[in-house]
Order: sequence, then structure tokens, then C-alpha cells
Amino acid sequence: MRRFVLRRAAYAALSLFLLSVTIFLFVRVTGDPTVLLVEPGASKADLDALRHDLGLDRSLLVQYGTFMRDLARGDFGRSFYYRTPVLELYVSRLPNSLLLAAAAMVFSLLIGIPSGIMAAVRVGGWWDSAGKIFALLGLSMPSFWVGLLLILFFSVYLGWLPSSGSGTALHVLMPAFALGWYFAAAHMRLARSSMLEVLGSEYVKLARLKGLPEMRVIAKHAFKNALIPVLTLAGINLVLMVNVAVVVETVFAWPGIGRLLYEGIAFRDFPVVQAVVLLGGSMIVVVNLVIDLLYAVIDPRIRYER
Amino acid sequence: MARPLWSVRLVIAVVLALLVPAGAAVASPDGTLTWAVHISLAPTFFDPAETPGLITPFMVLYAMHDAVAKPMPGQSFAPSLAESWTQSKDGLVWEFVLRKNVRFHNGEVMTADDVKFSFERYRGAGAKLLKEKVAAVETPDPLRVRFRLKQPWPDFMTFYATPATGAAWVVPKKYVEKVGDEGFKKAPVGAGPYKFVAFRPGVELVLEAHEAYWRKSPNVKTLVLKVIPDEATRLAALKRGEVDIAYSITGPLAEELKRTPGLTLKPTYMPFTSWLVPVEQWDPKSPWHDRRVRLAANLAIDREGINQAAYLGLAKVTSSMIPSQMDYFWQPPAPSYDAAQAKKLLAEAGYPNGFDAGELSGDMIYGSAIGEPSVNYLNAVGIRVRLRLMERAAYYSEYGEKKLRGVLYTGSAAFGNAATRLESYVIGGGRYVYGSHPDMDGLFSEQVNETNARVRQQILSKIQQMAHERVMFIPVMETAFLNGVGPRAEVHGLNVIPGFAYSAPYEDLRVKKK
Repeated sequence: MRRFVLRRAAYAALSLFLLSVTIFLFVRVTGDPTVLLVEPGASKADLDALRHDLGLDRSLLVQYGTFMRDLARGDFGRSFYYRTPVLELYVSRLPNSLLLAAAAMVFSLLIGIPSGIMAAVRVGGWWDSAGKIFALLGLSMPSFWVGLLLILFFSVYLGWLPSSGSGTALHVLMPAFALGWYFAAAHMRLARSSMLEVLGSEYVKLARLKGLPEMRVIAKHAFKNALIPVLTLAGINLVLMVNVAVVVETVFAWPGIGRLLYEGIAFRDFPVVQAVVLLGGSMIVVVNLVIDLLYAVIDPRIRYER
Repeated sequence: MARPLWSVRLVIAVVLALLVPAGAAVASPDGTLTWAVHISLAPTFFDPAETPGLITPFMVLYAMHDAVAKPMPGQSFAPSLAESWTQSKDGLVWEFVLRKNVRFHNGEVMTADDVKFSFERYRGAGAKLLKEKVAAVETPDPLRVRFRLKQPWPDFMTFYATPATGAAWVVPKKYVEKVGDEGFKKAPVGAGPYKFVAFRPGVELVLEAHEAYWRKSPNVKTLVLKVIPDEATRLAALKRGEVDIAYSITGPLAEELKRTPGLTLKPTYMPFTSWLVPVEQWDPKSPWHDRRVRLAANLAIDREGINQAAYLGLAKVTSSMIPSQMDYFWQPPAPSYDAAQAKKLLAEAGYPNGFDAGELSGDMIYGSAIGEPSVNYLNAVGIRVRLRLMERAAYYSEYGEKKLRGVLYTGSAAFGNAATRLESYVIGGGRYVYGSHPDMDGLFSEQVNETNARVRQQILSKIQQMAHERVMFIPVMETAFLNGVGPRAEVHGLNVIPGFAYSAPYEDLRVKKK
């Protein structure tokens, strides 16, 4: 078990190192950010001074060395646009993203799991067809479009909800729905297929043969097992909701990490993009590591096989 | 019995007469005005020392801070913290007399030391140039600041006292030294009409009236600048009355805004011109080398059509790449659209069936809005050109490195005057100059140290006239920045200061009484 844990931890560290190299190089491939921080027509002297100020006149190797040295001290650098420490920016946006992601996740699970289970239990029936249409719409309607429709209807037409911003419970409703909509459909699809698989398993057949009522077979024996893959996916989705809700946060002017990433990309704010990708990547790596370890704890075959 | 009653009435009348005007004169600021802002507000906007050469920070600077001199309604350089200034005959000394008893938001009195400190602390756009040109800043007394130049520099005020730089914007020396640069950005103190109250990054900036502002006490008590990056959401917020002014509403949304009762579409005009440059005009083998071809391209484009489609007719078509509001602008003849004449000129130049002109490159934003219709118009007369849009930063990088060919879209909103614009785009050695005419370069050199404005105007006009006659460019329009105004904003301040895109002066704004 100890070897297994060490090996998984080493894989996680290697993944993060490769991610740091990749994101460092990728943002720099996009070109010179200084031309976005001044008006076209700015003098060469101003551009050169800005490049020097941002440390972009040094070689890539020196820049990467500085980046890794600072990273080891927990310093993600200073934003080119905001001129403040990136970690400070990230931490200031994190509570908003966590709130939005939590609300969207609750919505997506409340809609996705029951409807997926119902579709699997009544496979081929009316509920299943409705569920398929919902899943199709959820996965194919772009979230910016859903967001704008919500704003037009609930904010402009009905006047019930604020069109954008944050600060009250009313502000979170529409962005949470727009963000959770896609994930609700994904969770519904997975819940349906997982439930169908569980319902066809031997132990469920045995429960039925023993004459247990169908409701009890589903609720007590099938539901818990069908839930495992959905919750695993939900864990990863939660990290995605926190870090890359770019479109929804932009449409609703929600001050989260997704919008920070969008601004970082728009202004080629290298330190911001690097930090958001690395911190988001770290979250995914950590979640995966925890899941791997939990699997190993639950299933002895995993820790002995690997 | 009548006398006492009469005297009481008289006393009441006198007291009322004294009270009513007094009450009106000291009317305190009232109400709130809210903006939907299209860009993220950064703490660097709160510190004039970090002005990056973009106009956006001035949206905040005009509220929180004040400058020695700055553009104000009807004036390019209006006395602000300085009540007057003089230039020595040899052009080497500029002396500013400061206004008495101007107080920063923390109650400190502004002095010459603050002006000197702010100039020396300035590290934003143009800082290097300013510091190269200025030999010393002297403060002979607390209300007098003297700038000694190394040599006469006719553009001193253009760089010092316009949004070309933030060097003239004054911060309190003692306070900055006490709290440091980072502390200043977290709790900025200025001498402007509004005080900092709160900043929620990515959400909003809240400001409150500084009633002791020297020019006048502001009319509106609270200003809120809300960041709403999506323009459809900005329009929704304006329609709902959540905001009073929404910046940057374009295309079909601007049309919808115009149709919405109670809302008004207000264009503002920055020194922002859009033009095309056939950069192959410097290659003798290229068709673009022939003046008639470049003239044909100028005649081929229906500028008014583009204006109607992209800016609802609110932009200004132009035949100059210099903004008309800039100092030393020379007014060329109005542009005309004549496709038949364009085809005739191409035939005369030896291209009766047109020619393959390669690519018209541009950035994703304006390159698309102006470039796409331009491509269609050029193709219609036989100048076969394909549109190539690039990401903005990549485009301007390649443009500056002279890697692009064919026809290039160019747009600039950089502040300055005709000389600074010519230096970047027309005169040899400029960042975006692919080729130049020695006689024009020579004329430009003549005016660099010319302190006589009339002589300078003549030289710069001559250069612009030569560029026009040689058809070096295909100017298209002075672009409009479209904004929405809601019913509560009685005085919105848009388009009041020439060349300024945003609401200002803030102290003049007014909310409609219910």
C-alpha cells in the first residue's frame, strides 16, 4: 500500500511539473503581451520599457527559472494587467467561484440524478424520452445562450432577478442555472446508464427473485451502487465549475476565477493564466489522487495489482 | 396694531430671502449614478503613476484625482491644479502657478512638492521620454513649479497635460510615502471630485463626492462603476434601470438601444482613426507602387456605407489618418465613393481586369468591422484581395516587425497630436512605417524643436498634404464609441471633453429629480 501511495504521489508531482512547463511555454507562444497593454501607435521606447518592467526581455530559460523559483515559494508572480500578486487575485475570486460552483452542482445533481434514475427505471417510456431530450438540449445549448435567455426573460421581461453581478442570493440563481444546466444533462446521462447497468446485475436479479418490492430493490440495492460513478464525475466537474466557468461568469459579470482566466487570456496576462491553470490542474490532480487512494482502500485488488 | 404685524412680515421676508438662496447655494450632493463598464477595473487605475498609455484608466483618474492641467470641455489644456503657466522665450522653462488651498481627500493641502513628487514618481507610458527631455523640476515656493527642459520641446504640454501620459496627475507625497505604492492602490487618496469608498475587484468601484473639490462641489453623491464585460448584459442592466450609463454597445444591440423608449444612444469620439495601408507601395514591382492604383482603392470604398452598417452612421468618414480633433490637423478634401472612376484609373494603370492584391490583414475587432466591407468594395472594382484576420496582439506584433504584406488595416487611439501620429505611421523609423519619403522625413525633422506654433502648423500641414497627394493611405473613418444612457442621468458627461471616451467632468453630472 505504501509503495502504491508513493507511486501515485510521484505521478501527481510529475503531472504538475509537466503542466507547469506546458502552460509556461504555451502562453508565450501566443506572442508579446505588451502590445495589448498600450494603444497601437505607442512608441518603441514605451514598449521596450514595459517589456523590461514585466521581465519579458529576458531569455525563456531565465524566465522559467524565475517562475519555478517563485513558485517553490508559493509566489505565482504579479498580474501584468492588475499589477497585483496573482495569488491575491485568485484567492479574492475563489469564494465567488466556490459559491457559484456549489449552487450549480446542487442544481445539476438535484435535476440530473433523479431524472437519470427515473429514465433508467422506466426505460423506453415517456420519462426516458423526455430525459433524452433534456440531455440533448443540456449538452447542445451553449451556456452563453442559455444565460442570455435567462437574463432576457427573468430580468428584462419579468423584472424578478438582477441581470448581473453578485452580492445577494438572487444574484446567484441565474448563473447557477446556466452553469448547472450542462452538467445536469451530463449527470443525468451517466446516472441513467449507470443505473441500467446496475439493474442488470446478478445481485439485483437475486433481490427481485427473493420477492423484494421493486421500490426497495431500486432504492436500497441499486441506487447506491449506481451513484458511485456519478459522484466521481461530479467531483471532477466541481473542479471544472470552479476554474473554467468562463462563459457564464462573463455573461453574468460574476467575479469568479473563470472570468479571471478569460481576462488573463484576453490581455495575455501570462502570470494569471499560468496560476489559474496550475491551481486548477493541481485541484484535479489532488482529486484524482484522493479518488485513486480511496479506490485502493475500498478494493484490495487495485493496491495489489499496481 | 398694523405696525407690529408689518414689521414681523418684513423680518420673515428678509430671513426667507436670506435663507432661500443660501440653501440653494450649498445644496449638498445627492443621489447615485451607476455605470456599466466594459473593461475590468484594475487597482493600477487608481494610481496615476502607472498610467499605461491606454485611455481606460482616465475613466477613474478624472473622478479620484486631478492634474496640473488636463483636457476639459472646450480646452485641450485647461488649468486645473495650476491656475496659470508660462513658457520662457527660449522654450526651455515652463513655470506653473498652483491654485491656493487645494486639499486632497485626507485634508492635506496640495503644494509644489506634491507636483514634483508625482512627476518624478511617474513610471507609465511616455515616462522615459519625459524624463529624457526634462532636466530638472524646481519648486521655488509652495505654489510654483518650474520644469527646465534640456532643449526646446514643443510637445511638452501634449505629453504632460493630456491622456498621452499621467505625469501631470498629482498624488499626496506624504501619504504615498507613508503607505507605500501597494498601500496607495488599496486606499487611494487624490485631489479629484470623488473620494475612494470601496473596490471589489471584478465587481465595482464605489466613489463618494468630495465636497471640498476646488472647482465645485459635485452634484451627485455616489458614483458606482460596475464591471459588466458582456455587452448584451450591459444593455439588459440599462433597460432594467440597474445602471444609468452603459459603455460600448455596438451593432444590432446599439440599434435595439436606439429603439428602446427612455434610452438614448450617445456616441463619443476618441482620437481613433481607422485606415488601410497598401504596404507594397514601396515595391516598384507591385501594382500598389502606382499612385493611380492607390487612388482607385480610395475611390472604391463606400465609407458612408460602412459607417451606416457598423456604427449606425454615427462615426465620421474621413480622408485623413490623423484625427480631426488633434492639434496640427490638416483638413484634406472630403472622401468620395466612385467605383466607375476607380475602374477607369485601374485600366489607365494597366490593370483593366484588375489584379490579385493578396491579403488584407487586420485584427479580430476593428480589422473585421472595417476590413470585411473594405475587402468587398475593393473586390468589386477588381482589386482582388482576401481578408486575413489575426488575434490583436499577434497582428500588431507582426505589423510592428514589418512581417506583413499586401494591405493592412490600422487603427490607433493613441493620444498626442498630428506630429506624434505622423512619427509612428508616416516618418521613416516609425514603428509601423514600411517605407517613407525623404522630403517628408526632412520636413518632419525641421519641426521637432520648432516652438513657433504657426510655423509648426505650416510644416505639419505640408507633410499631411504630401501624404494625401501621394495617396499613401486609404483612410476610412474616425470611429465612434457607442454608449447607452438611461432616463435618470440628466447630465451624463459623454462627449463633453473633446477626444475623451467616457463621462466627465464628474462634478458636473446630475441625476434627474423624481
